[in-house]
Amino acid sequence: MAKSVPVKQNRNWLLAFGSICLLTIVTRFYKVTEPPHVCWDETHFGKMGSWYINRTFFFDVHPPLGKMLIGLSGYLTGYDGSFPFDKPGDKYENTSYIGMRVFCTALGASIVPMSFLTVDEMTQSMTASVLSSLFILFDVGLITLTQYILLDPLLLCFLMGSVLGAIKVSSKRNKEFSVKWWSWLAFTGLMLACCISVKFVGLFIVLLVGLITIGDLWSILGDLSRPVSVTMKHLIARTICLILWPIFLYVAFFYIHLTVLNRSGNGDGFYSSAFQSQLIGNSLHNASMPRLVAYGAVVTIKNHRTGGGYLHSHYHLYPEGIGARQQQITTYTHKDDNNKWIIKKYNTNKIKGVSILRSGDLIRLEHVPTKRNLHSHKEQAPIMKKHFQITGYGENGTGDANDVWRVSVVGVPDGTEVATVSSKLRLIHYLQSCALTSTGKQLPKWAYEQQEVSCNPNLRDANAVWNVEENFFEKLPNVSFKVYAPSFIERFFESHAVMFQGNAGLKPKEGEVTSRPWQWPINYRGQFFSGSAYRIYLLGNPVIWWGNLIFLALFVLVFSINAIKQQRGYIKSFSDSHKQELVACAWLFLAWMLHYIPFWAMGRVLYFHHYFPALLFNSMLSGILLDYLLEEVPKFFSPKLAATVYHTMLVLILSCIVYSFHLFSPLAYGMNGPSANEANSTMYGLKWLDSWEF
Amino acid sequence: MDTVKNRKNGKIKPKTTKLESEEKYVEKLIENGKLERQEGDGESTSDTTENKQDCKEEKINNLRSFEYSTAGKICRISCEVDLISICLFVCALLTRMYKLQEPKNIVFDELHYGKYVSLYMRNTFFFDSHPPLGKQLIAAIAYYSGFDGKYKFDRIGSTYSDSVPLFALRFVPAFCGSLIIPVVYHLMLEIGLSQWTSLLASLLLLLDNAVLTQSRFILMESMLLLFALFGLLALLKFRKYYENPYGLFWWLWLTLASISFTCALCVKYTGFYSCCLGLAILARDYWIALSSPKLSDRTLFIRFLAQAFVGVVVPFLVYLGIFYVHLNLLYKAGPHDSIMTSAFQASLEGGLASITKGQPLVVAHGSQITLRHTHGRTCWLHSHAHVYPIRYADKRGSSHQQQVTCYSFKDVNNWWIVKRPNKNDLVVEQPVDAIKHGDVVQLVHGLTSRALNSHDVAAPMSPQCQEVSCYIDYNVSMPAQNLWKVEILNKEQNGDTWHTIQSLVRLIHVDSNQALKYSGRQLPDWGFHQHEVVADRIINQDDTVWNVEEHRYTKSEDQKDRERDMITAEMIPTAATTLSFWDKFFELQYKMLFSGTESVQNHMYSSEPLEWPLMSRGIAYWVASNSNAQIHLLGNLVIWYSATLSLLIYCSFLVFYLLRRHRLCFDLDEKNWEKFRFLGEVFLAGYLFHYLPYFFVERTLFLHHYLPAFCFKVLLMTGLIEHLYFVLRDILKLRFIAYMFIILLLLWVGLVFNVFRRFTVLSYGTTQLTTTDIVALRWKDTWDFIVHKN
Repeated sequence: MAKSVPVKQNRNWLLAFGSICLLTIVTRFYKVTEPPHVCWDETHFGKMGSWYINRTFFFDVHPPLGKMLIGLSGYLTGYDGSFPFDKPGDKYENTSYIGMRVFCTALGASIVPMSFLTVDEMTQSMTASVLSSLFILFDVGLITLTQYILLDPLLLCFLMGSVLGAIKVSSKRNKEFSVKWWSWLAFTGLMLACCISVKFVGLFIVLLVGLITIGDLWSILGDLSRPVSVTMKHLIARTICLILWPIFLYVAFFYIHLTVLNRSGNGDGFYSSAFQSQLIGNSLHNASMPRLVAYGAVVTIKNHRTGGGYLHSHYHLYPEGIGARQQQITTYTHKDDNNKWIIKKYNTNKIKGVSILRSGDLIRLEHVPTKRNLHSHKEQAPIMKKHFQITGYGENGTGDANDVWRVSVVGVPDGTEVATVSSKLRLIHYLQSCALTSTGKQLPKWAYEQQEVSCNPNLRDANAVWNVEENFFEKLPNVSFKVYAPSFIERFFESHAVMFQGNAGLKPKEGEVTSRPWQWPINYRGQFFSGSAYRIYLLGNPVIWWGNLIFLALFVLVFSINAIKQQRGYIKSFSDSHKQELVACAWLFLAWMLHYIPFWAMGRVLYFHHYFPALLFNSMLSGILLDYLLEEVPKFFSPKLAATVYHTMLVLILSCIVYSFHLFSPLAYGMNGPSANEANSTMYGLKWLDSWEF
Repeated sequence: MDTVKNRKNGKIKPKTTKLESEEKYVEKLIENGKLERQEGDGESTSDTTENKQDCKEEKINNLRSFEYSTAGKICRISCEVDLISICLFVCALLTRMYKLQEPKNIVFDELHYGKYVSLYMRNTFFFDSHPPLGKQLIAAIAYYSGFDGKYKFDRIGSTYSDSVPLFALRFVPAFCGSLIIPVVYHLMLEIGLSQWTSLLASLLLLLDNAVLTQSRFILMESMLLLFALFGLLALLKFRKYYENPYGLFWWLWLTLASISFTCALCVKYTGFYSCCLGLAILARDYWIALSSPKLSDRTLFIRFLAQAFVGVVVPFLVYLGIFYVHLNLLYKAGPHDSIMTSAFQASLEGGLASITKGQPLVVAHGSQITLRHTHGRTCWLHSHAHVYPIRYADKRGSSHQQQVTCYSFKDVNNWWIVKRPNKNDLVVEQPVDAIKHGDVVQLVHGLTSRALNSHDVAAPMSPQCQEVSCYIDYNVSMPAQNLWKVEILNKEQNGDTWHTIQSLVRLIHVDSNQALKYSGRQLPDWGFHQHEVVADRIINQDDTVWNVEEHRYTKSEDQKDRERDMITAEMIPTAATTLSFWDKFFELQYKMLFSGTESVQNHMYSSEPLEWPLMSRGIAYWVASNSNAQIHLLGNLVIWYSATLSLLIYCSFLVFYLLRRHRLCFDLDEKNWEKFRFLGEVFLAGYLFHYLPYFFVERTLFLHHYLPAFCFKVLLMTGLIEHLYFVLRDILKLRFIAYMFIILLLLWVGLVFNVFRRFTVLSYGTTQLTTTDIVALRWKDTWDFIVHKN
């Protein structure tokens, strides 16, 4: 019917798309500059953006692209990186933060038109596209989440872009190997790379696009009219655009990241000495220290494994039941005075003149602030039960024979002098013959979640290698020397090791109430973005969210019924459009699961906003399924009634969504006055769940 | 031959049923031509209706007729077949039972399981997060051999006294472990593999050191494996009758399969994975049956109902029955009582009952009570004459009022007096002034006479919550906020009056609408390391639930008398509470589900799922105190590595075939493809079902968790070997290479046997080894054997 009037259809399409875009712009940019203070995690990402502008090195568990873009947008709109972003609620005053906000919001807004295009490509049904994008458009939670300086708007935008690209590529509408096809393929690769360079959860979208691609290839292979070489050609094209090209981009982002951040900052301690020597302002950059380590020198000792910290001790004892009740020894990645040790001869406290430490010497290490010696004995280490415990022992530097360590420099004969930074040391316990090792395991709360140090009977363990990082000794002249500079690739891999370790360390603290995955789809509890007088509360539009769940269940039902009917042979073949819609739903269902189920198995701290990628897929699914039902349900009525039923249902649902948006929009655009518990509040009566906190 | 057959009849069920059914078939054929379909066996050789059946049907039947034709041959040499499985069983018994009583020491987890068995002997309640069937079976044998349960299982390695019938205790696991071997043999036959392949499969399991070691001690895995594999066997037998449902054997095998799978579940909850496998196979068959146009919707629906009925009701009954036995046997109070709620404890003979007997039932104005934290850690609301420090270590200030904590031991300072705000006389008068749901009360600490209070001050360890204290009036414009509303959670069951023990209550602070909560954090030195109590905004959580445990009415108005009462008085006993089986059952289920996550400490020999396929770490089970004789759980290296490799080979073959078939190149005929695919659908799926879940488990894991998956892997490997041989001989027509393959295979089996023999010293632990012996066995750097230093 529509095909006979392509011009009219085209005009309709443009009209729909245009109005969706317009609505998007209106809803997203309304009050984008308010509240004029730091909201929620802006305190982190704004700060990191500033660091990029100041070129100060820092450490974060997420890959760099998102923060780099925030920094860039700030830089281009005249922000000078001087605002401290100390804590949520700080007033911006004269800082030009609007550029960053608008940038994030713009990317976040692009989700809506992209979802329209995606669904349009998947189903070729305008109703479905409009419905899907309206579900996304009118969700209050998405508006809140995409209006601030956060990583999530960027992540969601790239994620949507990847899906759009993948769908465009596999669509029959684009002729394969045409210029358009190639550009969509390259676009998909670009979006995938961006996605995974913003947050590692982007991995799930890579998985989804991978599955879509495999599905494509499978159906191309099944087309017997074409030779296998076509499949091979496809395979090669996709390997290049979806694997090699994103990897290249990903590495390139890191290259920019490591090149831009060339000044020392608060993240230095997480990285190896060699890495730090590349940062301007770090004590190791063009280091000026005694070149050799002498007895009597005050040193910091850094573990050589990636992400290893400094040998550390503090005035706290191991708790009862965990080895001997002596002073704790840990590794710690931040620089502080508790990392300082003084090197002494094993048998005397007196140091005459300058005597250089050599490989093979017996020494004691005394902790400078507490005056206790590094000590080990036959007790189990707290976590690695096969290792021995390391403690701080003795009073004012006087301990016992278990304080004696033999220094052995890796790869050189005994007697070689020990040099600052460049010598790789092993510290071997003299009596037990075990090596001082950083196991990389996190200690519980009693050790402030620092990392375990133990004495490992296996002397060849790669984690038992240390180096002297800082070296203070007055009797030797400070000389400048250049530490061996690691290549970009080495620095790239080191950053990853450190990031993964950081991510693994994000365990919920004991007793902390964290958000659990089961709470998310039912919109159980939100998250305050801004408190006090101007309140913003991240919470999904309950009508849409709960509706989504219903449609999810309906989809499973419809899909199984159809599958069973088909298996029974009652359905010989679907009508094309319906089949296409159900297949699209199935893909979206898969995408939803991919972005939701894995969180159940994650041990790290989880937040409510982790659900939003899954929500996008769920909303699109709802739109398509609704269109399907709108076509199917009226068939049960007489032809006369059918049109009425169709239109009634459509209008009813649309008005529900719009009205609920109207009701809940203050959550995103700001509430003031009393909380919803009280009768005179504007939100009175909207607190449908007790767990909502607005 | 007849005599031999008769002798075997009782023992080897699967074979005899085949023979029997064949006999019956002949009889029935004579009686009634139509009835034959009910029995089904052997029909395809003579059936004329076969020709009418459509294409799809034929495929399935082709496969079956193939089986029957070989079955016909086997029939003639049936004695030999029986002999094979009997020989296997005898070999298994010999290896499993050899020197079963040695070492005469507690080996590894015998410490736990042995202890549980001895508690069964004494009818003493214990708590274990695993279900009870395995322990019950061992306990049954132990009971008949006269074990008195008095032996104290104290630590791994200590010597058993002579009063312990060690052989009986270790008999059940060893016997089950031996039965696994013939079951596997029949399982492989049933899935359509040749005798030789089946023999190989059972031989490989016979020669695996890990399976051997695990079967020889009081451990659960051999029973788990037996039930899982027998369940699978029964299910495959059931599939034979799939086309002719509702016959005797249809019901029999289906029921047996679901019983067996449920038993696996009741030995260890990991048996759940086996149940899933069984369900998946059933679902697969049903899905295929759906496509058959011969069956009407109604037939299919009824069939679904019948299968679902057996698959739900039978497991349900078995599971309940086992727990019924469990709870009825264990009626005395024991060491783990405190994990359970007060009501549960009060129902045990001599447990809490002895203290709580004769308590007044209804909490009223003037009641003296102890308040127990109901779920999770056992502790009682407590206060003492010490105040919160003015400043905490992190520089925050406190109210400096009297500390309120949760204390894990019984103490006179756990007494509180319930008081209505407007009444001052504390003596309870008749009729009592009962406290009801929604009433507002004050709780006065017994010995210090200060009221439980909360206010807008951050709690010491959980600053996001409110501090709870006993109110001291410092005259610093901080008024007392000591009113608490009583909410009874289970008022539907026990009425809205506050009852001792049974009522679960929340205490809601009236001024701030927050609930009294045990936070789980420990206070530092100043709080004597007792647990923190706070008031929390989030009301609806387990940690805010409390119940009254000890209770009596105040008799004297005089403060001194009251104190003396509290310090000296014992309770006046009368009758214990009774809980119905269902109450007990559900509570036990709840506690079993939500316990056991506390021990995060890693064990010296724990391992990660990724380490299992390549057997990076074993487990030291036991070492002799005076020599290096030791038992170490390690598999047969050759089998483990080959099986891991065969997984990869099978998968690549599968992908290859799938790709080729997608291009309509049929390398295998339909029958063989079906067979090859079914191997994967059972064994590969079985492997994945029993392996992948462990990646998401946060408990401490050990190598023996891998054994079920390992068995499936070995079965897949033997299936693959037969397939490879078939491809070489029949598809590629490389006769010579096929013979070479057989020869290589034999050499490989020789190698397997050799490795098995070398490592048996670690399975039996009877040989005294020198240090060099042990070093010689340390084939991988990561294996940690124990060597005594001299």
